[in-house]
Parts: sequence; structure tokens; C-alpha cells
Amino acid sequence: MTTTTARPTAAPPPAVIWARRHLFRTPLDAALTVIFGALALYVAFRLARFVLVTARWDIIATNLKLLMVGNWDTVHLPRIAIALAVLTTLGGLIAGLIHARQVRRGTAVGMKLSPRRIGDLTRRFGLLVATVLLLLALTTTTGPWVMMAGVAVGGVLGRVVGGWLGRRRYRRSVAVAGVLAMALVPVALYRYLVDAVPLAEWEGFFFNITAAMAGIILCFPLGVLLALGRRSKLPLLRTMATVYIEIVRGSPLFVLLLLANVSLEFFVPPSIAPSKTVRAIVVFTIFTAAYLAEIVRGGLQSVPRGQEEAAKSLGLSPLTQMSRIVLPQALRNVIPAQIGQFISLFKDTTLAGLGLGILDMLTVSDAITQQPGFVGQRLIIETLTFTAFLFWVGSFTMSRESQRLERKLGVGTR
Amino acid sequence: MTDTDQPAFTDATRAGDPVIELEHVDKFFGTFQALKDINLKVGLQEVVVVIGPSGSGKSTMIRCINRLEEHDAGRIVVDGIELTADIRNIQEVRRETGMVFQQFNLFPHLSVMDNITLAPRQARRIPKKQAEQHAMELLERVQIPEQARKYPGQLSGGQQQRVAIARSLAMRPKVMLFDEPTSALDPEMIGEVLDVMKDLARGGMTMIVVTHEMGFAREVADRVVFMADAEIVEVGTPEHFFLDPQEARTKLFLSQIL
Repeated sequence: MTTTTARPTAAPPPAVIWARRHLFRTPLDAALTVIFGALALYVAFRLARFVLVTARWDIIATNLKLLMVGNWDTVHLPRIAIALAVLTTLGGLIAGLIHARQVRRGTAVGMKLSPRRIGDLTRRFGLLVATVLLLLALTTTTGPWVMMAGVAVGGVLGRVVGGWLGRRRYRRSVAVAGVLAMALVPVALYRYLVDAVPLAEWEGFFFNITAAMAGIILCFPLGVLLALGRRSKLPLLRTMATVYIEIVRGSPLFVLLLLANVSLEFFVPPSIAPSKTVRAIVVFTIFTAAYLAEIVRGGLQSVPRGQEEAAKSLGLSPLTQMSRIVLPQALRNVIPAQIGQFISLFKDTTLAGLGLGILDMLTVSDAITQQPGFVGQRLIIETLTFTAFLFWVGSFTMSRESQRLERKLGVGTR
Repeated sequence: MTDTDQPAFTDATRAGDPVIELEHVDKFFGTFQALKDINLKVGLQEVVVVIGPSGSGKSTMIRCINRLEEHDAGRIVVDGIELTADIRNIQEVRRETGMVFQQFNLFPHLSVMDNITLAPRQARRIPKKQAEQHAMELLERVQIPEQARKYPGQLSGGQQQRVAIARSLAMRPKVMLFDEPTSALDPEMIGEVLDVMKDLARGGMTMIVVTHEMGFAREVADRVVFMADAEIVEVGTPEHFFLDPQEARTKLFLSQIL
């Protein structure tokens, strides 16, 4: 056997090839890879050491209830559990109804628990579930376990029932009544909670979530109306909308919150002045609506003129042109920006603590470091880390859902 | 109610009765005059094809007829209703006149079925079942009944334009306006759209068609209108128009395209 040709060397494993191509292509690449790799490893190591070894998470465990709901009377905690379970059931129900409708119209993927769907669900809710389990691991009582069990059962039950109910078509009157009933559930839950603890005493993370949800729900119609106002042909309406948007966008949110704290007495007698919580929600709504208006205006401009012309040429009324043709496309085009604004709002609720003296989660996480057992030990790092983590989980979940929504609504349009 | 696309009650009832009248219509875009003293009468069941070089005001003229553009002077009367600033008059006229656009302008967020039934249900208050049944008849007429549940983005250009025609017909208009309906199509799809339009013309629909398809003009038009420089230069039957044009500008245009 002659060996004139070079003996073929064994091909290196794919990982090595990949690394050579992407990490060590040139000397500069190699240097950068080494430097930043070392830096990343160091940061990861310090972070892991802090989280897993040195951090005193007992301050969180001890004060978990304070962080979550502030001074909410323990006797009334079951109300929150019930409200949360009902809300999740409603959410599941709506998801089921929507999915069934898509199946009926042939625009949905299958309902079966395929591996792909399980992976999809894990990506969607995995982080949320992991966080909840983490929080449960920190608790010492059984109440939260019962609550989360109720939430899980409610969510699944709602989803299944919704999917089953949605298989049939309903008469218009029945459908309208159903939607109305579902819209009334949150209102009823609010009454149920306020009945035990007035809104002004909603504290901790519960305040942040409530304020964010209320702000999002309220600012949406206001923002859309402002956007339409700014595009209106009527000069008075257009000027009012523009002035509103420009003034509010030109003021720092924190300043608005401080103003809401002190200036309301000029206009309203103290006896009927709204509570700090209401003021906070109003400020968040006013503020976010201005930004949302500009986002929606951008969306309106992104809809081609031909769409409006086609709607006009069919003899549709101006209201129908807007509500059925232009607005749905405009809003869909700016979903990422809208959700981004909502995420901002969620995080900005932490400003209400300092701005209005509300005991929100951030305020609590500062206050508990002054407790006798924990004072003077720089445990603020632990409490702030924990606070930041919970807000990140919330924001990240919203961002994920927004991407999903975008993909789903993009079906069949290209 | 008969199963034609003509509404049950109309002012013009016999073929040839005028449905569209333009008298001394002027239109400006800023200082640029897009229409100069346009006079045109279109009778019931008549097919008028408008040709001319680009920028000559063809599209502007038919867009004035359903007031997508506002004319600045003169009178436009559609089916006995004069176009004024009154929004209700405008909506009434628009319901009587279907329009097909160069870029189709289908609603991308609605299925084909919803594209077609939206206007009848919203503007004419026709019950859903009835509207969908009519929509299926129209889809069969434009030969794509199997696409009813799809979305516009899933269709070819030719199919989209045929849906757009069906969408306009769903309002049972008295007049159809076509604004270069085949100009944005790939060549192999032009035929299928023209076939639908020919079928419509044979069915007695009153049509004004802005197009560059001379074959269509020759075959289907009752009258050909030639526009240049914002004016109507010459009007005549296809035979007269293509074989014996009178005006210099018409001759020049025909020599350039034929």
C-alpha cells in the first residue's frame, strides 16, 4: 500500500468547528472571546455565589407577606386568593373561547397536547411557574399553597370549559350577555376586595400589580382617543389633543406623582379628595395615555391610504371605516411598542412609593431592612435584588406574550 | 327581488338613461390643474373605457365620481344625487358605485368572506346569512368559491383582484368604476381579471374603466374616452376611435402604444 497522499486526519467534533468559526476566527476575535468570556464567567460566579451562598434570603422569607400585600389584614387574605383564582379561571375561559373560535375558523393549530405544544406552554409559563414555586418555597404557611392550587385548577378548568363552550356558535344576544358577564367579573372582584380592605390600603407587590393593570386598562381607550383627536380635521379637537400629549410627555412622571400628592388640595376640598392610590392610578393613566397616543398615531400612519379609500368607496360610515378597517390594522402594527409602554408603566409603579407615600413593594423592601433583626447589615441588596427579580419576571412574561400575540395576529396576512 | 346586481329601485330604469353626469368639472391639486372642464354622460348599462397617457387625469376623474377626490368646480350627479359636501349624499353615492383599485386594497386582516360581507352588513344592514350566501354567489361568479375562508395575503394577485370585484358587487352597485385594475398584475393573471370584467359588461353592468388594455377597450367598450393634459380630447365608438381618430393627440398616443 503506497502512502503518497496525506493521511486524512480525523475531523474535529462539530462543537470545535463551530467555536473556531465563531469565536476564534481571527486573533482579535480570540482576544475578545477570552477577555469577555473571563469577564462573563467572573460576573456569573459572583452572582451565583451571592444568590446561592452569601445572600441572607431569610429577610425575604420573614417578610414575604409584607412584600406581597403589605399590611393587608391576615383575616382577609383568603379574599385575595379567591379573587386571584377567579381571575385565572376567567383568563383560562377567555383563552379557551378564543382558541375554539380559531379552530372553528381554521386559523388555529391543533389542540392536542403534542410535544411541540408542551414546549410552547413551557416557554410561555415556565418562568412564571418557577417563580411561583420559588415564592411558595419561601413561605411557612399553607395559605399560599392552597391559593396557588386554586389558581392552577381554576386556570386549567377555565381553559377546558372555555374550549368546550366555544365549540358551538351562539345567538348574538347570548354572546353579548356572555361578554358582558365576563367584563363584570373583575368589577365584582374589585367590590369583593374593597369590601374588606379599602383601595387606599392595598400595598406591596399587590399595589404595583393592581395599579399597573388599572393603568393599562384605563389608558388604552384614552390613548386611542387622543391619537384620533390629534389626527382629527376639527381644529379645536386637534389642538386639545396635541397640547395634552405634548405637555404630559414633557413632564417627568415622578414630578407628576409629587404634584398629585400636594397640588390636588388647590382644586378639591380635602373631604372628597381621592385617595393616594386613586391619584397614583390617575397619574399613571394620564401619563401612559400620552405616550400610547403617539404610538397609536404611528400605527395609524402605517396603514396604507388605499385601505381607507377602499372602505370609503364601499360606502362605510366614518366610524365603521375607523373601527373595522383602519384601527385594527394600526393597533396590530404597533403591538411591540404598546406592550413596551405597558411594561414601562408596570415598572414605573415603583415610583408611587416615594412620590405619593404609598407602601408599594419597593418601599417595603427598603423598610424591612430597618427591622430589629436585620438593621445595619446591608440587606437592602437582597431585598432590591428580589424586587428587581419579580418585576423582571412580570416584564419578561409580558414581552413574551406580546411576541406571541404578534405572531398569532399575523396569521394569513403576510 | 330579482337575482341581478341591479338594485330594485333606481331612478334610471331603461338602458341608456343617464346614471352619471359630469358637467364642467374642474379639479386642482394646489396650482396644478388635474381636470379641465370635463363633460361626460354615462348611460345605464353602458361601458365606457377611458384611455390616455399617465398623468392625464383619468384616475382623478373617476375618483371624483365617488368623491375620493373633491372636484373644485362644476357638477357631478350620480343616479340623481348631486355630489356636495353633505356626507350622507356622499355615502349614498358610494353605495351605488363600486370601485376596483389598481392595488386591490383588500382588507388584509379580514378573510375573503369578511371582506365581501362587511359592507353589505354594515352599510346595508343585510343579515349575516343572506350576506354570506350572496358572497358565495359572487365568488362563484368570479370563479374562486374555494378561497372564501382564506386571507388576502394567501391569494395570487389575480385572485385578489377578483375578490375585490366581488367585494364591490356585494353592495349591488348601479355603477362600477375600475381604476387600472390590471396594471399591478403579473401578465399571466391579467386575462382572468379581464374575463370577469367582460362577463360583468355582458350582464348589463354600467362600467367606467380606466385601463391600458386596448384589446379590452376594442372588444367591450360602447364608447372610448381619450384624455390628455387634464382634458377629454376625443370620445367615440371603438371602431371610430381605433380606425379613424380625428385629433392629433389621439393619433400620437395610438401610434405610441399600438
